[in-house]
Amino acid sequence: MKKLPAFILSIILAIFFLTPAYGREVSLRILYVNDFHGFAEPYQPTGSQEKLGGAASLAREVKRLRQGKPTLLLAAGDMIQGHSWATFFQGRSSIALMNLMRFDAMVVGNHEFDFGQDVLKKRIAAARFPVLGANVEGFKDGLKPYVIKTIQGLKVAIIGVVTPDTPQATHPGNVAGLKFLPPAPVVEKYLPELKKRADLVLVLSHLGYQADRDLAAKAPGVAVIVGGHSHTKLLEPAVVGDTIVVQAWEHAKALGVLDLTVEDGKIKNFSGRLQMIKPAAGREDKEVRTLVKKYAARVNAVLGEKIGEAALDLDGEHVRAQETNLGDLLADVLRQAAGAQAVIINGGGIRAGIPKGTIAVKDIYSVLPFDNYLVAIRLTGKQIREALEHGVSGLEEGAGRFPQVSGLSFIYSRRAPAGSRVKEIVIGGQPLDPRKEYVVATNDFMAAGGDGYRAFGEALKSSPDFACTGGMLQGEKLVYNDAGRWLRDVVIDYIRRQKTVAPQVNGRIKQID
Amino acid sequence: MRVYVNNKPVELLPGMTVRHALLQAGLLGQIEAGRKVYDDWGNEVGLAGALSAEMKIWVR
Repeated sequence: MKKLPAFILSIILAIFFLTPAYGREVSLRILYVNDFHGFAEPYQPTGSQEKLGGAASLAREVKRLRQGKPTLLLAAGDMIQGHSWATFFQGRSSIALMNLMRFDAMVVGNHEFDFGQDVLKKRIAAARFPVLGANVEGFKDGLKPYVIKTIQGLKVAIIGVVTPDTPQATHPGNVAGLKFLPPAPVVEKYLPELKKRADLVLVLSHLGYQADRDLAAKAPGVAVIVGGHSHTKLLEPAVVGDTIVVQAWEHAKALGVLDLTVEDGKIKNFSGRLQMIKPAAGREDKEVRTLVKKYAARVNAVLGEKIGEAALDLDGEHVRAQETNLGDLLADVLRQAAGAQAVIINGGGIRAGIPKGTIAVKDIYSVLPFDNYLVAIRLTGKQIREALEHGVSGLEEGAGRFPQVSGLSFIYSRRAPAGSRVKEIVIGGQPLDPRKEYVVATNDFMAAGGDGYRAFGEALKSSPDFACTGGMLQGEKLVYNDAGRWLRDVVIDYIRRQKTVAPQVNGRIKQID
Repeated sequence: MRVYVNNKPVELLPGMTVRHALLQAGLLGQIEAGRKVYDDWGNEVGLAGALSAEMKIWVR
């Protein structure tokens, strides 16, 4: 048999590898996860009777489902922040896990920005897979708008888009200089080019299920949208127009499986499902289990790390009944962090005290165990009074709504009926003006009406919109909103800087009878 | 941002999640009791799931 001349062979190979795979039927399996949030170890979700998830079990399933199938493994964002397994290492652990599992691509989620752009650049540099963000403008070095993967001759273009709401849900400094463009026009911009260069165009989205459906309607020509952000447990693929939309719940509790048969750039057949992930002995990937345990051990080491000294006992016991030095300290720290005029937090959110002596990270975790974050809202003096009245309305039962405050002081009568107990209120050294607006910081729990606080929600009702321009949050009522940083981390950083804390009760809350 | 929980409107800040909506609607306790949250298409959603303006969710 004669050999083909080298140049003819190279032309044939070029045609095969550089142009779409027309005239051939190709199978492709897409495996996908979203909103992992660092949940590397199995856990029992609220309301569940059993533990779910676990990266080692997930990895085993990925390995099993990859066997004998051309496969893409995709992540639809929010991988590096959330659980302390990831947050303690600013997402380094998540990227190590994804490298080990050989992910093919990831889109940035809004929470990928929570540690700031410099950290995100380091994580992208460490990732052995492309990190996508086509609608993020101004992020230099790292984010790619799309990637084209060739799987057994099939060229698959993957465009990444993230929610344009990102600037309103993280610290303004984290997104300074960035623009988050509406996703549909961005996808439409890339589609014509990518349809020429690839057999199939996918969108890896961190927009939320509803927005994914809208995108599918607005940008026909996208074959598949692999989504995240809304933590939707989409048991079977949805179809909008000609576009398949999928999403795999959250926290590695499910692995999405989508099987496609593609011919001439069109999906001929598809089937999909969610593979539930549950821990089971002998059903774990050993390498991943070792990695998960390594970082879990480091979490324990970080929890034991000394961050400062308490010069006196910090009272977390009486926070539902009176001003305490720990309540004052926490409220002061939050006021400083938010740049607010005052702070009102619920005593019930403070779950432990700290004895005089060394303060370790775990002590602050015991004091503030909930995943709450800092917000600041403009309240009128009248609304502040209503909030404080509510705060002292449950004295008899020791309700968690009892306030701990900073930047203001007030006097109340325990004998007066609930609703008219608060007497004098002083803020910034001046008597409270019921018509004037003040910036008041609190936690997201209370801002959402937790412990029955309604003043923050009432204030927000009159605030029509929010926007982030020039790295600053602009809203009529909302002043500060950092959903990516837990209160305890704000406090830990403060104590690290101060080294020693010695707060004294100084008469912010006085009971007159 | 306004969303609806079992048809009841609740006001949320940007970045707030299903958990905050249930808290404001007074329904978070039902999740602890084993109920689940669904979107308008009948898909279960996680408590940390993002919401969008005018979205409807259901506890059942």
